[in-house]
Amino acid sequence: MSEQINYAVEPLGTIGHETPRIDALERVTGQARYTRDQRLPGMLYARILRSRVPHARILSIDTSRAEQLEGVVSVITHENAQVVWGAGSVSGGRQYNDPVKEATLHRRYIFNNPVRFVGEPVAAVAATDRHIAEQALSLIEVEYEELPFVLEPEEALQETAAQIWPEGNLAPDFRNNFEPMVTRRGEIDAGFAQADRVFEDRYSTSFIHNAQMEPRCALAHWEGDKLTLYSPTQGISNCRHDTARDLGLADHQVRIICQYMGGGFGNKNQNQDTDLVAATLSRRASAPVMLEYSRKEDWLGVHGRWPTVQYYKIGVTNDGTVTAMQMNAYSGMGPYRKNSGGISGMDGYACENLERVIYPVYTNRTVSGNFRAPSEPHGHYGIESMMDEIAYQIGMDPVEFTLKNMRRPTDARPFTNYSLDQCIARGAELFDWENRRRVTPGSDEGPIKRGAGFSFMMFRAGVGTSSAIVKVDGNQQYTLYVGVTDIGPGAKTTMGMIAAEELGVPLSQVEVVSGDSDRCPYSVGESGSRTTIMTGIAVVEACKDLKQQIDQRGMPEGANVLIASATPSPTTDGKVRNCFAAHFCEVEVDTRLGTTVVTKYTAVHESGRLINPQTALDQIRGATIQGIGQALHENTLYDSNTGQPLTSGYYSGRLATHLDVPDIEVEFIEVDDGYGPFGAKTAGESGIILSPAAVANAVSNAIGHRMKELPITRDRILEVTS
Amino acid sequence: MSDPSDTTNEEQEGIAPELTRREFLQTTGTTVAATAVAPALVGAANANAQQVTGEAGTTINLTVNGAAQTVEVQDHWTLVELLRDHLQLTGTKIGCNRSECGACTVLVDGEPVYSCSQLAVWMDGRSITTIEGLSSGGQLSPVQQAFVDHNGAQCGFCTSGQIMTATALLASNPSPTAGQVKGAMVGNICRCANYNAIVEAVVDAGQRNGGAA
Repeated sequence: MSEQINYAVEPLGTIGHETPRIDALERVTGQARYTRDQRLPGMLYARILRSRVPHARILSIDTSRAEQLEGVVSVITHENAQVVWGAGSVSGGRQYNDPVKEATLHRRYIFNNPVRFVGEPVAAVAATDRHIAEQALSLIEVEYEELPFVLEPEEALQETAAQIWPEGNLAPDFRNNFEPMVTRRGEIDAGFAQADRVFEDRYSTSFIHNAQMEPRCALAHWEGDKLTLYSPTQGISNCRHDTARDLGLADHQVRIICQYMGGGFGNKNQNQDTDLVAATLSRRASAPVMLEYSRKEDWLGVHGRWPTVQYYKIGVTNDGTVTAMQMNAYSGMGPYRKNSGGISGMDGYACENLERVIYPVYTNRTVSGNFRAPSEPHGHYGIESMMDEIAYQIGMDPVEFTLKNMRRPTDARPFTNYSLDQCIARGAELFDWENRRRVTPGSDEGPIKRGAGFSFMMFRAGVGTSSAIVKVDGNQQYTLYVGVTDIGPGAKTTMGMIAAEELGVPLSQVEVVSGDSDRCPYSVGESGSRTTIMTGIAVVEACKDLKQQIDQRGMPEGANVLIASATPSPTTDGKVRNCFAAHFCEVEVDTRLGTTVVTKYTAVHESGRLINPQTALDQIRGATIQGIGQALHENTLYDSNTGQPLTSGYYSGRLATHLDVPDIEVEFIEVDDGYGPFGAKTAGESGIILSPAAVANAVSNAIGHRMKELPITRDRILEVTS
Repeated sequence: MSDPSDTTNEEQEGIAPELTRREFLQTTGTTVAATAVAPALVGAANANAQQVTGEAGTTINLTVNGAAQTVEVQDHWTLVELLRDHLQLTGTKIGCNRSECGACTVLVDGEPVYSCSQLAVWMDGRSITTIEGLSSGGQLSPVQQAFVDHNGAQCGFCTSGQIMTATALLASNPSPTAGQVKGAMVGNICRCANYNAIVEAVVDAGQRNGGAA
């Protein structure tokens, strides 16, 4: 691709114009059919019985009374249904395959014995009616031998802690290495020796549930040896592949259908245990089975952002140059290591003397998994709080401190483009940073105090492989086949717009077929902010091919069609490709009540060229608000005496409502760096990466106390101010 | 899950339940009844659940999206169950089934109500409006059109409930301010946190309509 960087991006024919979603009508009239809206003839309903205890060996399960209940068709437990849920236990980001399934030492099955967290599945029932299935659960008798449990990751690594797996509580990677994740660069000791001052502190963050509006469910239906699954998955391709691996089928024996799904935020990538339990029950019952989770089951049974404890040690010189960065940290993974447990943020700094050690630790809490920018927001909160504190301690403006220390392109590490300086400068100007921040934190007179915080980020916007097929028929109607599922960001519309642009036709002339693995080619899945770039590039390439065919053979007539497909393997020529952002937040804290209100929020993002500015804007605003919730409200608390979760729902988990939300002012700096489809980069995860840090820094600036635990709840504010 | 809170009505919004003895009416018109033997529980996961297996349903008369219906309902059915499972109106979503999120909001006699937390038998004599009943003759309602124009739906799962609450708001306050919209819609959670766009859509729907919802 071209290496020209275009900083004067103008709207194209279709791309760059605010465009209502092509399926907006279905979404506002109730016609959009989600998984739980599907109905098949003879469909049974399924429910799951879950562990009431945090850690126990199951001595016996008696299902006989449940089985005798009229209307009950099938009951499964760990005794009669041993299905590996690979994606529930394989370290994230790795392609799941048969050797990995075989090698995984700490395998997660759909039912496990012992059970290792409150909410772990113990049995499942399929019945003719959902109420009968629920009644049947109450007739299943489980005898538990309760075992000691541990909830906190640091405590779990102590020798006296309850052992969750025979090898101990340090979670292994997918190669069964029982090692922390370690990054070492430069000379850490020499770096500290150069420092005039060394700062050390501890930061912690809580478990945040994705809490997508649509609780998990799955409808399974077998025809011979072919399984059709209606499932709310973020990726029909990886869901199909994982389900086939888990059930011992070939990929083509599994069809995944997901036309609409009610959000996931990383939580519904790959396949879910719902898929495997529904498929297993359906096979046994010889009938379609709809498995539905309640809100509480969804909260406890599945995944959310891992809680962390982060110890930092940072060396700086008197002129504000960072000379050494060290972090020792713990991520609470629950009793299965579904994903990495990563903690990012330090890489935003240029300092080459770095040591980072992260222990992914088993606990008897619900399992941690991916949540929108899985490794980022908690890590950015930790490191940005450290740096903000250091800046004020040495008498520097945090923005000035960042400009001095942030990573920039070097000859050894070139970027496709770099616009962090512009993001910061523009954000500071729009927000009026000079006048809103308190040079002396906490200096407002009286009990109601204002302050301002700043954070920044650079985040991968790399390219990769996906596929697309495009067809034109004798009516000059184009059909685009892409394996995306529209989980909220608007991928279906984005892909249609890219095709329309490349083909030079109106969007209305392009039908987009998506969300069905039997009809659509491989797509990377709606995770990692990758769809627009990766599947978008495939769409561009397929459309180029089709245009060439049309040039050579003319438009098809009558029953003729022309078809093109593409599975490109693009590169960035060895350069780093990132998106960039700077956030500025102002809060007002009532130190008598401990309440925090966000009074102004400014976000400046560079996400390359915007395909659909309207949906891009709402990705940034929504993600930013989710991050504000993480900073100020959300937590899943546990009773340390019993191991029982206390706040597993919308009210008690304290998700943001209409009234908690400020207007998020967003400005984009548009750039075409010559890579990606028309220069598009990532947008989906960007906003949440840095908003918790901006909010936390603003609170500390307002009250003059560094807030070292998320969420920054009223009690924590009162603890330091009263 | 064996959790009473999932099936217990923690909160009832809108209309007060009317618990009068109902006559059994000979069903005329549309009759929707559970055909299978439907043993069921009042509060299914409650340890003290009362078994009502084999009990005949109750016949109620109600209006759904303008059409009169006579329906035989089981006493334990919630309104959202009646709508989704027996009247095939799946546009109304279940997000929490316990009055926390508002995804299931419908209008009962014009008032926004969490349909997960109302029993179907209480709907005798009531008029229900769901998302499917807002547009007429292919014409979207002002709120629906504003949601299209302002990208009011991200994943779309809370959208029906948001639109129903907004519709009720505009009926009583045709041109609300952003602050009034936020206050009226606080019971409708959007986890995509598309709140800014939703408020913009509702304010615009009010302004566009010149004050008439």
